[in-house]
Amino acid sequence: MNGSLFATVSPSHFLILAALLFAIGVIGVLMRRSVLIVLMSIELMMNAANLTILAFARQWHDINGHALAMLVIAVAAAEAAIGLAIVVRVFRILRHSEVDRLTALKH
Amino acid sequence: MIGLPMLSGAALALTHTAIVAGAGAVGAAGAAGTAGIGETVLFWLFALIAVGGALGMITRRNVVAAVMCLVATIVALAGLYVLLLAQFLAVIQVIVYAGAIMVLFVFVIMMLNKEDDAPWALRGLLIKVLAGGGLAYLMARVGSVVWDAGFSPERAWNPGQAETFGSIGQVGQALFTDYLFPFEAVSLVLLVAVVGALVLANPRRPGVAAAADSGAAARIEVGEAGTAQEGGQ
Repeated sequence: MNGSLFATVSPSHFLILAALLFAIGVIGVLMRRSVLIVLMSIELMMNAANLTILAFARQWHDINGHALAMLVIAVAAAEAAIGLAIVVRVFRILRHSEVDRLTALKH
Repeated sequence: MIGLPMLSGAALALTHTAIVAGAGAVGAAGAAGTAGIGETVLFWLFALIAVGGALGMITRRNVVAAVMCLVATIVALAGLYVLLLAQFLAVIQVIVYAGAIMVLFVFVIMMLNKEDDAPWALRGLLIKVLAGGGLAYLMARVGSVVWDAGFSPERAWNPGQAETFGSIGQVGQALFTDYLFPFEAVSLVLLVAVVGALVLANPRRPGVAAAADSGAAARIEVGEAGTAQEGGQ
């Protein structure tokens, strides 16, 4: 039963929006060459996951979802710090930071 | 460089206004027991900003412009969190993401002083097409399930929302009772991240780091040469 898409806001709206943002993040990770853009796309995907968590938290009146989302934000902050430190180190050594050219661990 | 903080400041001020307006709309909707028209309008506004910012983020050639697009997305997501009655998390989102993490990104970009890079990475296109197809399939399945669930008002939010839902007090109570161990574990994760970032990014550890760096550079260059040869054959 599909009601009008624009009349009111339902959990489905938030879930589809989150899926869309997650898909855009995946496309960014796959198709961009700059490590910084790839890291930002990962942050975007974490945000999409958070949006899903919070939509269900509101739907079921469950505050545990908020605690979980808070832990996700903290882990994302840690991940960004480590990731950017690695980018800085790689850039100092190689003078570039393009994912396609970082193949040392493949050989 | 000067425009950047001004832009962030303007964006945050705008968010504040938007969040206050959003909180008012949610409060009115909660009191009436049904979703108000303001909530719908704000949802579509924030959703458009979020998707537009995300699309801008993955298409900009200039990395700083990409960061600014992501800031727009994150700020819009904070507004959506308010619509989801997660006021505390909306504030955390603005402070931690838009404030701290994005500034970290901008800081690294300025430090590296990168020139604009090529927009798309087309190497290994077959695997990427396969991955994109898998993603499209997943999204289609998720979308069909959500679509069947419907968008009608009857299928909207469950009624009976508590007034204090999503407040700092309630989130704090959950964090310090049921989630005490994960909470403390996250503090350890953050400590390890800080120490790890210092160790990784510090250029002046006497002797050891320089030798390790030149060795690593040599190894990595060899690896790249190998790749180039394979590509040439």
